[in-house]
Amino acid sequence: MSVTDLAITDRPRPKGAAFDPVFKWVCAAAATTLLAALTGIVVLLAIGGWPALSKFGLSFFTSTDWNPVTDVFGGEGPIVGTLVTSFMALLFSLPIAFGVAVFLVEFCPRILRRPIGVAVELLAGVPSIVYGMWGLFVFAPFFATYVEVPAMSAAQPGSLLEMLTQGVPNGANILTASIVLAIMILPYMAAVLRELFLTVPVQLRESGYGMGSTTLEVVTSITLPYVRRSAVGAVMLGLGRALGETMAVTFIIGNSHTLPKSFFDSGSTIASTIANEFNEATTPMYTSALIALGFVLFLISFVVLAIARALLGSEKAV
Amino acid sequence: MNAVNTDDAEVYEQYTAQIAPDTIKLQTRNLDFFYGKNQALHSVTLPVINKGVTALIGPSGCGKSTLLRAMNRIYGLYPGQRAAGEIMLDGQNILDKKVDVATLRSRVGMVFQKPTPFPMSIHDNVAFGVRLYEGLNRAEMEQRVEESLRKAALWDEVKDKLRHSGLSLSGGQQQRLCVARGIAVRPEVLLLDEPASALDPVSTAKLEETIVELKKDYTIVIVTHNLQQATRVSDNTGFMFLGRLIEFAPTAELFSAPKAKRTADYIGGRFG
Amino acid sequence: MASFRRARRSVASGAFTGFCWVVTGVALAALALILWSLLVKGIGGIDQNTFTMDTPAAGSVGGLRNAIVGSVIMCAMAMVIAVVVGVLAGTWLAEYGRNSVYANLVRFLNDILLSAPSVLIGLFVYEFMVAPFHGFSAIAGAFALALIAVPIITRTTEDVLKLQPTALREAGMALGTPHWSAIRQILWKSAGSGILTGGLLAFARISGETAPLLFTSLNEQFLNFNLTKEMASLPVVIFNDALSAYDDLVRLAWAGALIIAVAVLGTNVLARIITRERHPS
Repeated sequence: MSVTDLAITDRPRPKGAAFDPVFKWVCAAAATTLLAALTGIVVLLAIGGWPALSKFGLSFFTSTDWNPVTDVFGGEGPIVGTLVTSFMALLFSLPIAFGVAVFLVEFCPRILRRPIGVAVELLAGVPSIVYGMWGLFVFAPFFATYVEVPAMSAAQPGSLLEMLTQGVPNGANILTASIVLAIMILPYMAAVLRELFLTVPVQLRESGYGMGSTTLEVVTSITLPYVRRSAVGAVMLGLGRALGETMAVTFIIGNSHTLPKSFFDSGSTIASTIANEFNEATTPMYTSALIALGFVLFLISFVVLAIARALLGSEKAV
Repeated sequence: MNAVNTDDAEVYEQYTAQIAPDTIKLQTRNLDFFYGKNQALHSVTLPVINKGVTALIGPSGCGKSTLLRAMNRIYGLYPGQRAAGEIMLDGQNILDKKVDVATLRSRVGMVFQKPTPFPMSIHDNVAFGVRLYEGLNRAEMEQRVEESLRKAALWDEVKDKLRHSGLSLSGGQQQRLCVARGIAVRPEVLLLDEPASALDPVSTAKLEETIVELKKDYTIVIVTHNLQQATRVSDNTGFMFLGRLIEFAPTAELFSAPKAKRTADYIGGRFG
Repeated sequence: MASFRRARRSVASGAFTGFCWVVTGVALAALALILWSLLVKGIGGIDQNTFTMDTPAAGSVGGLRNAIVGSVIMCAMAMVIAVVVGVLAGTWLAEYGRNSVYANLVRFLNDILLSAPSVLIGLFVYEFMVAPFHGFSAIAGAFALALIAVPIITRTTEDVLKLQPTALREAGMALGTPHWSAIRQILWKSAGSGILTGGLLAFARISGETAPLLFTSLNEQFLNFNLTKEMASLPVVIFNDALSAYDDLVRLAWAGALIIAVAVLGTNVLARIITRERHPS
């Protein structure tokens, strides 16, 4: 057989070539739905919240008067409550998550490294409603009995302690909410930080140890500087989670719209307010006020998440 | 070695001029190639003889793979890479925008450095390309698969496990599977980009036998780092350096009596 | 002097080591405690009626059948939508969009959506589907869940496609394969286990989501297969029951929480096994 016999010189175009551009457009359309979804969220929340925002103006942010009966809504309570609980949660969980991550990378006996690492990652996936139920039925009563009541009875009238601990001792307050929130974001933050620490080249850390550095010195002068940017990004991701968390908080924060006066005072967050009241909102203005709160939450989390992503670089898949 | 002529630019043209035009299957003419702003090929004119093996040798980064990748426009996957000049295949310039790249690639097949079996059975690997172009019935397809695997000297090793995954084969077998896959669509030209560089010596020897067998039917261009391999399998050899074709001659001649000093230095092991 | 400094360094380091050990112990203990009470109270809440009866009226016996069925229906619908959209979108990012400005924008927005508060997704779907059509529905609930799953699948699909060797892509194209055939028949197959893992993780995530369902599929006392009507789901039933004043309902809520946790953890473990089989470390 000669080559001219074998080769097929007059060829049709390969099968399916005509669908190439179609498929490309279908994929592009799918990608565009993501853009459309996010745009849709911004636009619909803005439209839905506009009646309340335009009616109450700045006082929506500065007034704590949230009164469905008179149709007057000031969202300062939930907005401040969201920020306070999120930052407190971050404050509690960051050092612990950091310690866990360092432990897993530096100290953990080889045998335990994988099981604990896997356990931490699995716990990061436990639905938040589980944390919420534990907070409501186990942690709150415990906290009321063993912390709140003793602290309140120990507080001298007029003392600083009394100021910090006033409230109803039922375990439903911003401190317990923050603690539950902290426990919830803990596995997530630990998993992310651990992954970051593992990106530090082994040689870099080993050369630190080679110079006689202690673990503490290696962590503070090699590991942390190496991942600094991304670590801040990871913390911001954790903050983003705390800000938008609904179920873990709703069960246990007490749901009052005033500004919390002490750690043991009840409060509310934007997410918990929406979850609790949206289906009961009876007037259009009530609904609009809740959506306006959602819009505010969206803006806050957008900023936090955008900063997180910018710091992490888009390579980080978490 | 008696390299006397150092005027590289002139060297290959002497031989090229002697080649009868009707024996040339594919020819690059004044081919320039760019990776973004970096020029990787400078005015390369290389004839590829019909039904023969043309080897491209030269040190790393000399542009031999780039030249090969221009011949079926596989570089078109990457924005920023472009070729200028002409590549004539049977008298048609394949760099012409009107040329359908899919059809071109079915005429000019390619086998890569590392084996790239598709995640499917051995049979389907070979049949994959055929299905794109021809509506063969079952029996015809079986026949085509067997024929291709035989030509790639793999049939005897896999005939009892055609339904097994292509990934289950050894590295050398995988590479011959890729050759079988390439020739199953009955291309006119087969481009081999360092096909043996990831293989052990035994697999390499088998692959080389296959190549020698295949040149009865196909026009082959092979890029190789291995000079012995070039002498074993090829009829003509081009030596490239810094993006230029320095010398082009019948293989035996190029290795025994290189005309350019750089060629002599390279094959004498003085650099590269 | 030098020995004093050395002593101080080793004390500091020892304290740090101790700190890391202690916080890890505390963290694991706290999380173990949570899972323990979930296990104890959850198992205590499960009886023969849990899987065979629907939401009880206060004070009577009942189970979670309608909620479990509702969750399965809505999650399944959501996953069908999310896999189609997510895989295609991820494919676009990895194969077509690459580093174009538009692709980077979509990638950024996808990352935002990935961590956006889920309660807002619920609000959005309420405004988008529930309010205009004057009715809560299972379809709206599934749509909200899909919106949460899509970014996860998009992200994993893009990541695993990018991990596929360039040579495989080129080998496909070198046969003259049309790009879309190469994607469907070679790349998706080769990336299959990774995409499946992404799908499982997304499923695990949405099966525990409560907030997006509160204002979309709402709740329903009885078993219902009408997708245009309200539909019960495990998380919403748990939410309602847990806040009720009846012990029986609280018991059911614990049972539901355990069922969800087992489903979610099981899915996560499955995803992990699949990843590990393909990439043994």
